[in-house]
Amino acid sequence: MEIPKIQTTLPYEDFTIEADRTWVDWIREADDPRKNHLKPEALDDLLVLDVSEGSIGGLFASSILAEFGADVIRIEPPGGDSARKFTPFGYLYKGTGLGYLMEGRNKYHITLNLNKPEAQDAFRRLAAQADVIIESFKPGVMDEWGLSYRHLKEINPRLIYGSVYTYGHFGPEAGCGKPNADICDQARSGVMAVTGEPEGPDGPKPWTVPTKEGNWMGWYAGGGWLAFGILTALHHREVTGQGQMVDVAPPEAELRFCDYHIQYYHATGTLRGLVGAYDSSVFPYTIVKTKNGYSFIAGFSDPNWEGLTNIMKEPELRAQFPTIFDRLNKENQPAIHQGIEKWSQNYTGEEILDLVQDYVVNRRGPGIVATAWMTDIKDTFEDEVWWDRGIFEKGTDPFYGDVAFQAPPWKMTLTPPRLKWMCRPVGGDNDFIFLRYLGIGKEKLKEWEKKNIV
Amino acid sequence: MSREDYLAWTNQAFDAAKIFAKPEALRGIRILELCTLILGPAVPDYLGEFGAEVIKVELPGAGDTMRSVTPYGTFWKNASLGQLPQNHNKYHLALDVHSSVGAEIFRRLAQRCDVVVENLRAGTMDRWGIGYQQLREVNPKIIYIALNGFGQWGGYAEGRASYDAVAQTVSGLLATTGFPGRLPLKTGVFVGDYFGALFGALGVLSALHYRDRTGEGQFIEISQGEGLMRLLDWSWIYYHLEKYNRPRTGNRDLAICPSDVFLCKDGPVALAAGTDEQFRSLCQAMGQPELAENPRYAEVLTRLKEENAVSLLEIIAEWAKTKTVAEINKLGEEYGFASSPILNAKDQYESPHFRARASIFEYEDPILGKMTEVGSPAKLSATPGRLKWANKPVGLDNEFVLRKFLGLRTYQIQALAEKKVIGKWVEMPPGRKPPSDWDGKAGVIM
Repeated sequence: MEIPKIQTTLPYEDFTIEADRTWVDWIREADDPRKNHLKPEALDDLLVLDVSEGSIGGLFASSILAEFGADVIRIEPPGGDSARKFTPFGYLYKGTGLGYLMEGRNKYHITLNLNKPEAQDAFRRLAAQADVIIESFKPGVMDEWGLSYRHLKEINPRLIYGSVYTYGHFGPEAGCGKPNADICDQARSGVMAVTGEPEGPDGPKPWTVPTKEGNWMGWYAGGGWLAFGILTALHHREVTGQGQMVDVAPPEAELRFCDYHIQYYHATGTLRGLVGAYDSSVFPYTIVKTKNGYSFIAGFSDPNWEGLTNIMKEPELRAQFPTIFDRLNKENQPAIHQGIEKWSQNYTGEEILDLVQDYVVNRRGPGIVATAWMTDIKDTFEDEVWWDRGIFEKGTDPFYGDVAFQAPPWKMTLTPPRLKWMCRPVGGDNDFIFLRYLGIGKEKLKEWEKKNIV
Repeated sequence: MSREDYLAWTNQAFDAAKIFAKPEALRGIRILELCTLILGPAVPDYLGEFGAEVIKVELPGAGDTMRSVTPYGTFWKNASLGQLPQNHNKYHLALDVHSSVGAEIFRRLAQRCDVVVENLRAGTMDRWGIGYQQLREVNPKIIYIALNGFGQWGGYAEGRASYDAVAQTVSGLLATTGFPGRLPLKTGVFVGDYFGALFGALGVLSALHYRDRTGEGQFIEISQGEGLMRLLDWSWIYYHLEKYNRPRTGNRDLAICPSDVFLCKDGPVALAAGTDEQFRSLCQAMGQPELAENPRYAEVLTRLKEENAVSLLEIIAEWAKTKTVAEINKLGEEYGFASSPILNAKDQYESPHFRARASIFEYEDPILGKMTEVGSPAKLSATPGRLKWANKPVGLDNEFVLRKFLGLRTYQIQALAEKKVIGKWVEMPPGRKPPSDWDGKAGVIM
């Protein structure tokens, strides 16, 4: 067979350095996150009830809505959400774990013991006024309380009701009874089947196993897709006045991020397996050792491979693997990887970036090479560029004080999302919210407290 | 009011067989896309699955770069498998916007659209006369979203190329994925791209809601690396408070205990018990109820302490060795702790559960035939998402798009083709053209 030569010219990627200053200056002024508080909010007409429990997914979904301006009421059992204890080494900050603290943003925090009829009734009255409900229980739990969508739609046909649970609220496994967990979301998503070091010649090792993504990616994917479903349903409601139920299973949310796994299996009946530092569809596109750590480096298409091997001054390596088919060949990838590492270990990650930028920016030859040195949590957090971009913020919270955290990632010229406060202690907003929405005053609340309703 | 009763109701409310008997949530929203690879094209894809009408603009001939990115160089029926996941339900227009005529056609299309999506380097569209400032002149209500590696401005925004893996590398995700002392692991999928696109779609939907209220459009920017930073849960605050530089910990979760992957007789199993109640169930299932009474493990916060967590995970690892994956999975159901085998694409492809939920979505494409792909994870009871057709050859819908939206006549369309302002696919490289047995008609709207 004649192997076709791939001429990927990256048609729309014009890597000229002379960026249009007019645009850059204009947009920086127009979407500067420091001016977010001067602008209106996209979702400030919405009331959201987040009654999720033990799920960062539910919390993240309501965080997104709260960042865009929705009034979000977090409803926890009187002892607090079990997610308040998802925290490294059991570390608490002013009584709350760090995982929850990050996703308590801009929300009101109240308590309700939904096992009690009075609490169920209070919830129902809140639901009658709400636009959105978010829950993460096993299917049937809210239903038993008379608070599932099929009940609430009778009192509020405009309601959008979102559920997020590992197995979802329908389908043959929905009733399996297992609790939700990020590790199982990731395990069921397919991402772990391709993340991890493949077995080497020495046979299996403790680390040659399917490996999860370092963060709670399953939960975050589930929460992100739930917010997507809710906002999509919101547009439909805008047009028709009709609410509906949105159901998300986090493994499926993450599966939607799993490239072409399913398509590849459909087309060929084969699987990719653990890829480690290699990649099945672009290579080299890999992590290599450097003098002072690790760097990512890529040079996949023929011109880019030429660029990379020019920078490395390794024309022989180029000649050895001349086409993308050679470079995508599983058998060849270790040799290519080693070839690059032989070079990269002589430089620091910063030096490699400088070499690459010099080549690309000054057009010293064909091809675009992308590289980045691996920053750890400390490096990233201390990098002023991200602070300048408003990606991290240090805010003064009335209860938690001066704490730094990740801000919403969107920049918008008209209705940017923003941070107002960080979190609240368990039941911190009972007085305000019960009065504001249910006309329940302090005396009654005290009575309810004694009865373990709040 | 039993659980069975509720599930009978949900199974009926979300019945996959009725998807095409229900309306689409985003019907009436039109999106113009000038994107390549994943980060950009996935935004209109996610929205198009709910009924938004998407016009994908590619360069005549070679089209989207992703048409070259496919696993192990596998071109299936002349299509790139890498191009499929983020290009459904779209109209494919191959238009060269570098020419003034091409730019004018783009502007006229933008006039008819609600949303414009691009993923070029900052300022490129402006230079071509089709940037946000120019488009809002012709369409003041336009919602315009730009996605790229490092944003529109700032220390890294100028002169630096980015891919998904760059985003993983600079965000801290790479540094925290993998085993201690081993290679930091690039997630096996382009998560920075796909999640960045989800952030993009969320931005568009919130802007759309505001536009529904006020009639005003706006500009939105997303950086794939910055998106990943948002997702690193407690990493930043713990560093801020205690200078803890989060390392790689394999499958062990430092903030939930137990939560890890254990090796059974026949393979790995994921297992977690995040609350005291779930932990007690696990101890029962293990036949070691006394563990739940042990002061080192009884309470969740104590259990999370390094020494206690490590010893507990060892005890569970010893127990798991004596079981099969299926046994532990079943015990999870019986006792109420979280457990799961590690599913791969085949397991998912064959799963009745994923199929019933239309997450494994079967349909018939007019050009590629029987397709099995991944449906939208957001399941909407009244307005479910759906896949209608797959990615098409470059420029297949040129005539349809130009006639339907701009009212161009046959002779005008021909003239544009002659001037190479519009065009179709090239034979080489692969990934652009129809399958070799294509009859010249299938999939062509006009």
